Amino acid sequence: MKITHLALALGLALVSTQARAEKLVIKGSDTLGAKLVPQLAEQFKAQHPGTTFDIAAEGSTTGIAAIIDGTAQIGMSSRRAKPAEVGAASAKGVHMKPTIVAYDGIAVIFNSANPIKSLTKKQVEQIFTGEVSDWSAVGGSGGKISIYTRNTSSGTYSDFKELAMKKRDYAGGSQKMAGNEQIASEVGKNPNGVGYVGLAYTKAGGIKVMSIDGGLPSVQTVHAKTYPYARPTFYYTNGEPTGLAKQFLDFTISAAGQKIAAQVGFVPIP
Amino acid sequence: MLRNYFVVIAVAASLVLGGGVARAQDAGALLDLLVKKRLITDQEAEEVRGELTRDVANTSAGKLKLSSPITEIELYGDMRVRYEVRTGQAGLPDTITPANENTQRNRARYRLRLGLRGTLTDDWFFGLRLETSSNPRSTNVTFADEASGGPFSKGSDGISVGQAYLGYKGLRDFTFTVGRMPNPLINTSMVWDADINPEGLAEQWKHTFNLSLGGGQTSAATYDKDGKAVAGVTSEPTKITIDIFANFAQFLYDDSNPEDPVGPRAVSGGRLVPRTDAFLLAWQVGAKINFTKDIFLQFAPTVYNYTGNGDSFNVRFVGDPNFRVGATTVSTNQTGINSLMIFDMPAEFDWKFGEIPMRAFADFAVNLNGDDRAIAAGHPTKGDQRYAYQIGLGIGKLKKKHDWSLEGFYQHVEQYALDPNLVDSDIFDSRVNMEGFVLRGGYAITDAVTFNLTYGYGSQIDHDLGTGGVGDAFTINPLRKYQIFQADLNVKF
Repeated sequence: MKITHLALALGLALVSTQARAEKLVIKGSDTLGAKLVPQLAEQFKAQHPGTTFDIAAEGSTTGIAAIIDGTAQIGMSSRRAKPAEVGAASAKGVHMKPTIVAYDGIAVIFNSANPIKSLTKKQVEQIFTGEVSDWSAVGGSGGKISIYTRNTSSGTYSDFKELAMKKRDYAGGSQKMAGNEQIASEVGKNPNGVGYVGLAYTKAGGIKVMSIDGGLPSVQTVHAKTYPYARPTFYYTNGEPTGLAKQFLDFTISAAGQKIAAQVGFVPIP
Repeated sequence: MLRNYFVVIAVAASLVLGGGVARAQDAGALLDLLVKKRLITDQEAEEVRGELTRDVANTSAGKLKLSSPITEIELYGDMRVRYEVRTGQAGLPDTITPANENTQRNRARYRLRLGLRGTLTDDWFFGLRLETSSNPRSTNVTFADEASGGPFSKGSDGISVGQAYLGYKGLRDFTFTVGRMPNPLINTSMVWDADINPEGLAEQWKHTFNLSLGGGQTSAATYDKDGKAVAGVTSEPTKITIDIFANFAQFLYDDSNPEDPVGPRAVSGGRLVPRTDAFLLAWQVGAKINFTKDIFLQFAPTVYNYTGNGDSFNVRFVGDPNFRVGATTVSTNQTGINSLMIFDMPAEFDWKFGEIPMRAFADFAVNLNGDDRAIAAGHPTKGDQRYAYQIGLGIGKLKKKHDWSLEGFYQHVEQYALDPNLVDSDIFDSRVNMEGFVLRGGYAITDAVTFNLTYGYGSQIDHDLGTGGVGDAFTINPLRKYQIFQADLNVKF
């Protein structure tokens, strides 16, 4: 009899634990997923004990694909979903709903030893497309330009191509990195290096942010959209979010969440 | 939220009315403006943008994906069915075909041309056109003309690449084109068959000058009945625009294969026979003087010359009929491009008679090396057969449904005047040493469908010479008399 009671008690305890230990699967952008979302998750967990997170930051494309495939509740993306992705989602009955969670300015970064202080948008385009391959062509002291970009699944890769390169292809010799931190690290080590990262990744050692047409990425220039490479970042959900996904999204865009976004280096929603 | 719905409806309406992916981009700009004016938030704009993207993605156009370097693309083409009758009469100096023998060829034909052209980033452009028939001077396929394969055989229904070119427009006023291209030269059918797409390089320059000829004035201010001043009326000064242009071309006419053969090269007269590619070079400068929107005068003096040898057209042109030496038939050359230095002057004057567009056109050409060409052909006394001209009048234009047009011209092409490999294949059956007239009428059944009737009559100019050139429908040479009738139904898309 005692054994029966014990088994029943254990069973109830197990069911109760499973009900409370909710898991939120978030996939996508490295820009959002490497720093901001993990910190938001920590804060959220403190307010919602028992909640667990599975965060995979492998590029915006993977986040959007995860929403289409139903393998994540939230898809992080630093770019808008492409028409082909929206079409594929529709075909599967998935309604791609974007929610702006913060703003970002893609910063063009150089090695801190590089004497150049400012570039024009045209020069940035020329550098990243390979039209210019030596620093002397853009006012530098000479040396073959080493270009570091994100990989093709990155939203920043697509956004930069659209915002800075008139959709032209990257230079043939550009090196594709898995994340913002890797780009910042490589540029910091290479005196001839140039790359781009989200604003939250500009504090790395050995790099400096280049002024573009006389302007730097900042809260003011991003909000005013005067910085040429400013952009919103998104959570994508399948229709209106519900349950834990809605709670986390609401937390992200709340004052507390936006405070964290600002602390990490993003530009909060005005 | 209500405001959001309003924006969705407004922007979607603009999409529906305008239609297409391009309109979605316009809607994006509209959303940006609404955000900037603080009429909607970024989030609302994103939701609308998402809805529009979904709508567009589900349309046929939205499912079409273009590579990112393409900035604009156009699919175009035309389809034509034709019934044609040609008759020819043999004449002297043919020693094989009896004089006054008649021949007739009736053909039902079709043609299909399907093209894709577009612009790329950084001022590049490209074009591709697929065409029926491999004949450079015709895209027609004759129904049921296959000698084998049974009824409805597809033996002659092949598709060829008619155009494949790319170009650059990045320098102001200049256009550079390379490949198999639409003819970049201003010309008439007297010199160039319209179906020919030459291969090689072309450089074009065009600049527009605006001239004010004065005459504009403002009348003095007047006063109305209440004594208030009324501003004078200002009339525009007379202005004309002049397009000055220059077109240069280096067309690869005949590829020599190989330039350096295995073993010793042929020797003639103690000298190595040159083996170089043959080029047709064109040098054209001209002007189009636009007096008004509807009235202009255009002329485009051009010089054509040929360099190199090639290996198919390097035999001297004769143009005479075949003849017999004993039991052997000797075929004379009809395609040689020796001794051709042609000055050509196409000109056109357009105006309107009431609401009817009118067009007077003319072309004059002379082969400056006509004497040499005649001597090489074995007719040293016929060096004066070096001139060609065309003069005609057109009334109306086929631009939209119920439009009509009439056109007539007279053409005279002497034996040594032009390159017989380039002249029109319909009028005078690809021949030179012919003269005659052409009448053509057209009617637009719809904006895209037109019906045309053409009649042409030609006759041999110099009865001592053949009618040089490889005939299109007939092999008899000379064509003493020639007639052509064509009825065409065309669809353009």
